[in-house]
Amino acid sequence: MTAPLIGTRVGRVDGRFKVTGEATYTADHTAAGMAHGYLVLASVGGGELLSMDTAAAEAAPGVLAVYSPFNPLKLQSIKTTPDLSFVGQFWLPLQDTTIRHYGQIIGLVVAESYEEARYAASLVTATYEERTPKTDLKAGIPRAVAPPIPVNYEEPELNLLADGVGSVEEALAASEVRVAADYSQPVDTPTAIEPHAVLATWEGGVLTLQVGTQSAVGSAMTTAEALGIDVFQVRVVSPVVGGAFGGKMYLFGHPLLTAVAARELNRPIKTVLTQEQVFTVTGHRSGVAQRIELGASREGVLNAVKHDAWSGFSASGVLFESAAHTTSRVLYKSPNIHVGQKIVPLDLPPTTWVRAPGEQPGSFALESAMDELAVELGIDPIELRMRNYADTMPGREVPWSSKHLDECYRIGAERFGWADRAERPGTQADGDWLVGQGMAGTVYPGNLLPTTVAVVTLRPDGGATVSSATADPGTGMLTVLAMVCAQELGIPLDRVTPLLGDSVLPLNFGAFGSMGTASTASAVAQAAFVARAELIRLAVSDERSPFHGLDPETVEYQEGRLSAPGGRQADFGELLTLLESAGVDGTGASAPGAEKLRYAIHSFGAHFCEVRVHRFTRETRVSRWTSVIDAGQIINEVTARGQIVGGVLFGLGQALLEDARPEAGTGRFANANLADYLLPVHADMPDFDVHFLRHPDTSFNQIGARGIGEIGAVGSAAAIANAVYHATGVRVRDLPITVDKLL
Amino acid sequence: MRSFEYAAPVTVPDALSRSGEGAAYLAGGTTLVDLMKLNVVRPERVVDINALPLTGVGFDGQRLRMGALERMSDVATHPAVATEYPVLREALLHSASPQLRNMASIGGNLLQRTRCGYFRDTAMPCNKREPGSGCPAQQGQNRGHAILGTSDSCVATHPSDACVALVALDASVELAGPEGERTVRLDDFYRLPGDTPHVENALAPGELLAAVEVPHLPWARNSAYVKVRDRAAYEFAVVSVAAALDLRDGVVADVRLAAGGVGTKPWRLTAVEDALRGRELTEETADEAAARSADGARPLAHNAFKIPLLRRTLTHVLLRLGGRS
Repeated sequence: MTAPLIGTRVGRVDGRFKVTGEATYTADHTAAGMAHGYLVLASVGGGELLSMDTAAAEAAPGVLAVYSPFNPLKLQSIKTTPDLSFVGQFWLPLQDTTIRHYGQIIGLVVAESYEEARYAASLVTATYEERTPKTDLKAGIPRAVAPPIPVNYEEPELNLLADGVGSVEEALAASEVRVAADYSQPVDTPTAIEPHAVLATWEGGVLTLQVGTQSAVGSAMTTAEALGIDVFQVRVVSPVVGGAFGGKMYLFGHPLLTAVAARELNRPIKTVLTQEQVFTVTGHRSGVAQRIELGASREGVLNAVKHDAWSGFSASGVLFESAAHTTSRVLYKSPNIHVGQKIVPLDLPPTTWVRAPGEQPGSFALESAMDELAVELGIDPIELRMRNYADTMPGREVPWSSKHLDECYRIGAERFGWADRAERPGTQADGDWLVGQGMAGTVYPGNLLPTTVAVVTLRPDGGATVSSATADPGTGMLTVLAMVCAQELGIPLDRVTPLLGDSVLPLNFGAFGSMGTASTASAVAQAAFVARAELIRLAVSDERSPFHGLDPETVEYQEGRLSAPGGRQADFGELLTLLESAGVDGTGASAPGAEKLRYAIHSFGAHFCEVRVHRFTRETRVSRWTSVIDAGQIINEVTARGQIVGGVLFGLGQALLEDARPEAGTGRFANANLADYLLPVHADMPDFDVHFLRHPDTSFNQIGARGIGEIGAVGSAAAIANAVYHATGVRVRDLPITVDKLL
Repeated sequence: MRSFEYAAPVTVPDALSRSGEGAAYLAGGTTLVDLMKLNVVRPERVVDINALPLTGVGFDGQRLRMGALERMSDVATHPAVATEYPVLREALLHSASPQLRNMASIGGNLLQRTRCGYFRDTAMPCNKREPGSGCPAQQGQNRGHAILGTSDSCVATHPSDACVALVALDASVELAGPEGERTVRLDDFYRLPGDTPHVENALAPGELLAAVEVPHLPWARNSAYVKVRDRAAYEFAVVSVAAALDLRDGVVADVRLAAGGVGTKPWRLTAVEDALRGRELTEETADEAAARSADGARPLAHNAFKIPLLRRTLTHVLLRLGGRS
């Protein structure tokens, strides 16, 4: 028997390819006759573009064309083609003269070289009729409105009240103990090391778009819509993506302009954004303000949870952070729960998906508030959580498909050494460093993509190819494809060729919402099963086959080899070669079914951390971390651990560093580059202990695995804020926790 | 990027003859190339000085002399720097990243430009980049900006770490020009912005920073550089302090202090030094003297916290060097 692969530790199949620099990203690609695009961006935050002077740019060396709203590249009207769902904004660039936010696209310069295009772009000038944009979240709260669409599939204001209770306020007033606090966090971004880039090539009426994306299929559909061509005339190729984090879910405007310019000029065109441009041409996570009030008995049993959130929402679209509905709606048992969501319309670049949208801010507020309640009551934070443990989803009569959060708390506490923690804050020190420990829970829904298809091909060379149009933006999906295929076929991993990141591959909407593995792995397993059946069908039907004429039921497939009574056997490679077959395909699919009606489906976990805060300088460093994660079957512990560590580092950035600062009056991000917008670096990484519970969730899908891409980013900022409180006695409710807030 | 002429002379006179208005010297390139890409600096001629004989680190017991082209990493790992001037070593090793330190020259480090986001964005006014155009930092996002040595024209922070240590150590720079060589104290080399923030130092057009000299200060063996920053590495100082302490029987015989992250130039803290000399070193006396670091400070909307932070950082480094912490 080939040893099982699923659940083991397997190094990335593309690891060597990436670390040796062999992997080529979009910006590395060239095409014969390629020209270069460079964007021109607005330098005001709102109003109308009155004129643009492009003469100097057009006369500059190497320039082929300068496009602007006054010399536009025609795209379909977004009003007549509303299904541009993967553009990521409500408007298309250069189609009108409205300035919706600072740094929006107002032009595209195309030149023979990147340097020439960039230089020429600097020569373009514009005049505007300026309008002062609204950019301040907190100032906008008085004019906040309810979202026009459901929030996490429910009412924007949702009250789950016990019989006879008139309002959550009434329940709060009747509670023995109450805590109430306001929490807030600034804009953060999904900025990846690979900037957004696109290379558009037309050949015979077919557009090939090389672009780093989480969804090759979505990108192809939207590009076809925007250009007014058939979806079969667009191929989106994205085999290697240098980080995405939600920011490459959508295309945004520059790929569409580049594609049309390439058609107009009859040249392949590559447009690479600078990191500064990524901040305004693509999307960000809005700032979020929140208020939580908790009412409980003196024993720490919750009687009321009231959680309201105000999220920034860009006038350009398309997403707002559903902070309360994704967290306080789900995590604790309470007879009275109110969750409310409002949006504050702002004239900033598009608000988009960023790792754990909703859960990331919501969990910071909720899990901080639970810590505050624990302090108020003098109850251990874990004990408080256990006294409010939810066995069924609040307000729904369904159980969870698989929930072991209590085990996460218990095992995490043991592994971390939670029992050694000082009871009172501000009482532990190591030299000049004040030391504190904090914890928080984490939750993320288990969802499946719409119809997801995978194809497994058995090849005459004895290898297998597994393909699905998913993406691997560093998640490990390529390795997961290969592992599931190899295990289901019983052949060694190195005989499997995984393919992804191409819109012509079998349908798969890609890598987002922690749905990629959960959806794709089951489809691959099924495809492998079908491929084996197809192989047997061919083996018994082809006259040249040693198995010809046998009852298929008597032919057995094991570890790449067919055998039948009478000693007949053949490896599938030998057999396919003998039969002169190009290969045998099996197609598998997965899709959401009725599981969501029968169960609530979430992953859970608990984070524990230790921080050090300097007695004099107030610098905060995270020194130790334990996460225990209940996400069902873990396919590959190596890449799964990477996902949790990466997610926690997102939380670390949220807690201590990330803060994109729109300026009053313009909305220009004052720190729109990777030197001034601070992300964690390696030196910020604590020692990580990541533990998976591994209870397969087969009520959810065949493979028993829920997603893990986002759960690490949920609750981790609260764990840090709670540890900072424990170290210093200072409760910071406005992120990030910088030195100035601890002085 | 604009087109420019490029030359790589091998002698100092040849380099000087190619310089002047519109020219820029290129050493490690970690500032210049960056700013050229951003269109902030637009030289017509780039004079690559990497082949000039401005190298070598030597310590003769009286002084440390560093050729301007020595890479930051080479200076940091020089044995004499490690034993005689720990403050300089630490300041260098807390700068940037290993990759940048392997490229950046010590001379270039002394001449690096501010990280002020308005200076680096040509869509914004900036008196340093375009004299008379204005200073949006005064009313804008100014958490990282200076509180000392500022003017209504400019509040840009000097970004270097090494310079802070060198100013504390009373270093000088050797300048080579068409008229010959001259030596200038580093503290005098840097200019306050006043109403001419585009003039950052004493270099005349075409003049070349050739070497850095540090006089020997035996008690600088007890020195340190503390850099307070928002993340643990690869980040500019929010506040930093370079300090050397001569402590005898618990009393401050002499002390050198300079601060980074707070000034429009590396900021020598003579008032704090004066307040400490002759005093017994305790947390109270250190804190009391450190309060003088705010003399003349002009805080802005987002950076007033640097006043208490600088005071606390000074207290911390003094206690550390005094063996009290």
